[in-house]
Amino acid sequence: MNRFLSDIVRIWQLRWAFRLALIYLFLFLLLVILLPWLPLSFQPNDLDLGQAFQPPFQWANVTSATPLHWLGTDALGRDVLSNTLFGARTAVLISLPVMLATTVIGLVLGTAAGFYADSSGKISRASFSGILLSVPVFLYFGMYVPSQAFLLKLPPAVLLLSMGIAILAPFILMKVLVPALKRATFFTKQVPFPADQVVLRLIEVFTSIPRLVIILVLASFMPPSVVLLSFILVLTYWTDTARLTRAETLRVKQLPYFEAAVSAGASTGGLLMRHALPNILAPVIVSFIFGLAGLLALESTLSFLGIGVPAELVSWGRTIAGIRANTSAWWLVVFPGGFLALTVLALQTCSYYILNAMQHHSP
Amino acid sequence: MRKISTLLFGLLLLLSFCSQPQRVPDEVRVRFSADPETLNPVNYSDAGAIQIINLLFHSLLSVDLESDGLKPALAASMPQVERKDSLTYFTYTLRKEAEWASGAPVTAEDVAFTLKVLKAPLVNNESIKPQVEFIQDIILDKEDPRKFTLLCKGYAPEMELLTGDFFILPAYLFDPAGLLKSVSVRTLSSGSAEPDNNGRIKAFAERFNSTESAKSKEMLQGSGGYLLDSWVPGQYITLKRKESWWGKELGNEAAHLTANPARISFQIIPDNTTALLALKNHQLDVLENIAVAEFRQLQQDKSFLEEYTLHTPNGYEFVYAGLNSRLPKFSDKRTRQAIAHLLDVNSLISVVQQSQATPTVGIVPPSVKKFYNSELTPYKHNVQKAKQLLAAAGWKQEKDGWYKNISGTKEKLTIDIVHRAGSTGYQNSALIFQQSAAKAGIPVTIQALDGSYLSQRIGSHEFDMFFRALSGNPFAFNFKPLLHTSAAGLDGFNTTGFGNAQTDKLLDAINAARTDEEKALHLKKLQQIMQEEATLIPLYYLKERIAIHKRFTNTKVSGLEPNYDVSAFLLKN
Amino acid sequence: MPGYLFKRLVLVLPMLWLIASLFFLLSRLLPQGLGAGNILKGDEQYSKGSKESRERSYRQYLHKTQQDLPLFYFSIHARAEPDTLYRVYPESERLHLRRLAWKYGNWPLVSAYYSGVKQAHTLAAQQDQLQPHFEALHTSTVAPAILAAASSIAEADQENAFQTAILLRNAKRMVEHRQDYLGLLPTLSWNGSKNQYHNWLTEVLQGNFGTSYRDHRAVPAILAEAIGNTFWLLILSMAISVVLAFELSILMVRQKGRKWRRLFLPVLFLTDSIPTFVLALLLLVLLASPAFLQLFPVYGMGYYSPAGLPWHESLARQVQFMALPVLCLTLANLPYLTNQVYRSLATTGNEDYTRTARAKGLSETRIIRKHMLRNAWLPIITLLSDFLPALVAGALIIETIFAIPGVGRLLLTAVQARDYPVMMGIVVIVALFKMLSHLVADALYSLADPRIRYTSS
Repeated sequence: MNRFLSDIVRIWQLRWAFRLALIYLFLFLLLVILLPWLPLSFQPNDLDLGQAFQPPFQWANVTSATPLHWLGTDALGRDVLSNTLFGARTAVLISLPVMLATTVIGLVLGTAAGFYADSSGKISRASFSGILLSVPVFLYFGMYVPSQAFLLKLPPAVLLLSMGIAILAPFILMKVLVPALKRATFFTKQVPFPADQVVLRLIEVFTSIPRLVIILVLASFMPPSVVLLSFILVLTYWTDTARLTRAETLRVKQLPYFEAAVSAGASTGGLLMRHALPNILAPVIVSFIFGLAGLLALESTLSFLGIGVPAELVSWGRTIAGIRANTSAWWLVVFPGGFLALTVLALQTCSYYILNAMQHHSP
Repeated sequence: MRKISTLLFGLLLLLSFCSQPQRVPDEVRVRFSADPETLNPVNYSDAGAIQIINLLFHSLLSVDLESDGLKPALAASMPQVERKDSLTYFTYTLRKEAEWASGAPVTAEDVAFTLKVLKAPLVNNESIKPQVEFIQDIILDKEDPRKFTLLCKGYAPEMELLTGDFFILPAYLFDPAGLLKSVSVRTLSSGSAEPDNNGRIKAFAERFNSTESAKSKEMLQGSGGYLLDSWVPGQYITLKRKESWWGKELGNEAAHLTANPARISFQIIPDNTTALLALKNHQLDVLENIAVAEFRQLQQDKSFLEEYTLHTPNGYEFVYAGLNSRLPKFSDKRTRQAIAHLLDVNSLISVVQQSQATPTVGIVPPSVKKFYNSELTPYKHNVQKAKQLLAAAGWKQEKDGWYKNISGTKEKLTIDIVHRAGSTGYQNSALIFQQSAAKAGIPVTIQALDGSYLSQRIGSHEFDMFFRALSGNPFAFNFKPLLHTSAAGLDGFNTTGFGNAQTDKLLDAINAARTDEEKALHLKKLQQIMQEEATLIPLYYLKERIAIHKRFTNTKVSGLEPNYDVSAFLLKN
Repeated sequence: MPGYLFKRLVLVLPMLWLIASLFFLLSRLLPQGLGAGNILKGDEQYSKGSKESRERSYRQYLHKTQQDLPLFYFSIHARAEPDTLYRVYPESERLHLRRLAWKYGNWPLVSAYYSGVKQAHTLAAQQDQLQPHFEALHTSTVAPAILAAASSIAEADQENAFQTAILLRNAKRMVEHRQDYLGLLPTLSWNGSKNQYHNWLTEVLQGNFGTSYRDHRAVPAILAEAIGNTFWLLILSMAISVVLAFELSILMVRQKGRKWRRLFLPVLFLTDSIPTFVLALLLLVLLASPAFLQLFPVYGMGYYSPAGLPWHESLARQVQFMALPVLCLTLANLPYLTNQVYRSLATTGNEDYTRTARAKGLSETRIIRKHMLRNAWLPIITLLSDFLPALVAGALIIETIFAIPGVGRLLLTAVQARDYPVMMGIVVIVALFKMLSHLVADALYSLADPRIRYTSS
């Protein structure tokens, strides 16, 4: 960690581009935090029906009574400037956590698949049966009953009860049933756990089922909301990272220094953290930043497809999508799009230098 | 690397010298946003299919877009109507000139055959079957093979329209083996096709349902002036004019039956912006449903107007907000009236529709002057008035909203708007309403739902408020299915729960009216009651937005679907 | 290694079956609503046909397409819910019954109550003042509301005192004998082989992939057509992006590549941050509109061309139509691809063999092409293997904007119209290509880096 910090300090001193990018990102964060207190003339969801599709920089229209829409307005007269600024907030509060969650899930599953492969992870037959039993119980009480509870408008007690069972039952199964089973010799035998196969199959299933269908199925149980949308995105985006990570882990595992560490008796966690992760990180970070860029403007694409996005959600994507109603309203794309591009560029610049620095350390 | 980029660049340059696609002047190119699901003249479901099938086949009556009136098409004249007891008889005679593509005459037998196809079980006819259920039998004239009488159950004003509103199929082409000959229309209507006929119907249905009838050129040959030339799914459908067509010789008396352009091609372009660019690029001749903001700019674009004419006929699509009057919180009509006062219709029209819409007091289009109640004025946007009405309805304003004691529990006034996902117009309308409701202190939430989920929610009465549109026409004003209390149950068409015994009587009276004056009286009364009840709050009637290339005349632009008669287009000299 | 691959290959079929079955079951969860087949649609001012006859037609349609059968061999549902509920129409009524069943947990009582409601309502259909109460009984599941409505009806409707008394008694019994949470326990009921899944599977096993609900054409024919429409487009754009990505990365990874890096990386990131549909519209407005440059036709795949055109001319026509979509797809794919390739090249630049090669004095181009590229292959294979399924999956946005009828749009319209056979067909073919591409990728991993071994145990 110290080495990492000292790297950053060194790059900071050497590279002006890195300095610039970091300052930009810092200001960006500051903006997001301070935004609610900024003295903006308009709130992002304020409609100004008399001023729809105003081009930006209309100095002539300024009077003391009506403040200027600096960057123009959209189809309902919403101020592009405040939408652009508040869109940044949404980006940080929604897109970033979603992308982080996706990356973490992908990273964990991908490394597990690559590292344990199909044979090196061992599990006792008792635990294996415990897992096999827990899955349907969890699916029924954790997925089916709650979804029906939403659809059938049952009282929240039902929801809580079934979620409780969904969490408790597997726990009891693993803590009570598994030790009980282990008394029989048949169940104590260790069998290889096909981690690689399981993860690969999961990836295939998740990528084969069209996202549109998943969204529509889920939307039929609960109204379109930010939470639902994020959930679906996490559910369907992790596969790319997982595949990349798996491939890299497969490669790293065969490197001489890694094999040496294994024979030196390093712990699994240490192996992964110290030796595997630094090597895997480069493609993952690239895919993280690109994924983020895609996510930031996602609402525009979703509304293009006619998928319900909450109308009140302020985002860059919503403003950009406005171009479809009026192709000559260039300011709807240029300002939020430009802000988006700058942010991504800054992130990219930072990651570029950090990755470079890390490569110099890796053997 | 450099080599590749030079190569690519060269290729691009080369391409730029390629000319735009060649055009034949006597060909009309029309844009469709999607393929018709099928061109089956029995099971069509979308407006595009109807437009095309209308060029291939004829129905007994058709709408002349020039006068927006109903005119005889395959029939020689409008039917004779005779009402006896609970039955109504419509007697038609077919045009003697009318013939099929093979040259054989169109006879009453063909009409009987068509009715059998529409009513037979197992045949893909679900979408049209309900529409002809009231026709119970056909009686063929013994002497005149072109004369027949349709025997119908009950009477409703739209029956005349509906008896002439299905495409007549040639029996020789669709049923060469005569499988349906021994089956009678009456048995099919009663739903009791005799067992020995079942095998025949099944055999016919299998043949009819198979792909052949939906897409093959051999099957889609009717009495119309055009033949299907090619259909490449997702790309284009082209029709070519018949070399000799009986309609040409009819002369002035049937000027609404035309087949002028040598070739008509329907181009499938899903995206609106692409379609507009294609129009500007001269790849299209006709474009309708142009986005309002773009249309506004086209109206000011001089170079565009030199080549295209823009039309804005008054349409018959009624856009309204529906309130669920069954809910205890909306059961007082003053609450509903308050909500109507919060809908800023004028802003909606100017912002959402860029003024391409007409405000209306009710469900009757303002363009139908004789039935429109011009004494009423639409609800004015007035927050103060709304607050007064709410207070009068027993609501009390507290810090965070309006509260009222409803059957013992204190309920808060909130409104949840549902609309179809992907419709920017409704979403914007909902947002505008949300802002004005917020001024009155009513919190509003908005949900965009997938189409079928939306109908499910509305069908099971799980909504507060929705935005929707109804399509109509100036011929039939029968609102009974839509507004009668018997249709207010689960999945019924009376989605808002409008009506009581008084309005039910009024609806019956509208249908029973024998003169226009009588009908106008009742319709105006209905509009007044509907405005007072405010369960269906009218927003506007849309104006259609169409561009047609200037080299064509006689385009017959109209507010009725399909808004122009492409078969009538004539090249300017 | 061959053993491993063989084992994976054998696994493809059962996996395909699993995915198809999962999707089969999942897709039937889509809200059916009343939109199906446009039969029940009520958006016209005057109605063509009564509600009852439309409903009859709708059920005939469901029967014909076998959508009225149970879904699977067995069904797992809450104990409160009877296994015959799927036979109840209309669907709103079914939903209400389910709500009552889940809430009160005692099906015989719920069913007795609801039939009481229906009987009393038929008798009292003409009495206006009772309608709000009946509406409450038809939509509410809250006990006090039900009891209140039932007793008001019993009081007000003296004509049918007998029926309304039964209704009130049934309502009270249902509320009193409610079993709150027991109903949540799962039960299993057996449906036999007369189910949708069985019918579908037997058809598929006989090689019959069904016909579209919409135009009654065979699904394989529809799919082949849609894939054919976008195949060349996609393969061309992918080839261009891969070649460009490699060439750009090699240019950037060189010692002197810094200026290229400074130029390309930001530009690529800028391109990437433009949403695809904006990019497509931008290209259209810039390159295919009379306002700017009118180089290309706006949409489509080439209108019918006169027969007997020499092949190079018809090709030229085709290319003209394909140019913009290809350009757009390439621009959309290029940034991510280039960055990944560049990143893996840069990583290998620090490894021992590269240093050795440099020390040997090999030319830089040679080092990059011969040594570094070979070692940078792993992540690249992963990325490229994703292109294979994309070939059949289509590109929805490009297809929509440039009016090319490919698989992406087919899927969208099929989902909107609940055209299950077409949906199934698309999912199966995409899954098949996905699995094959994963397999090929794994094989290529060990070719690219022979040290990677797969154990076949």
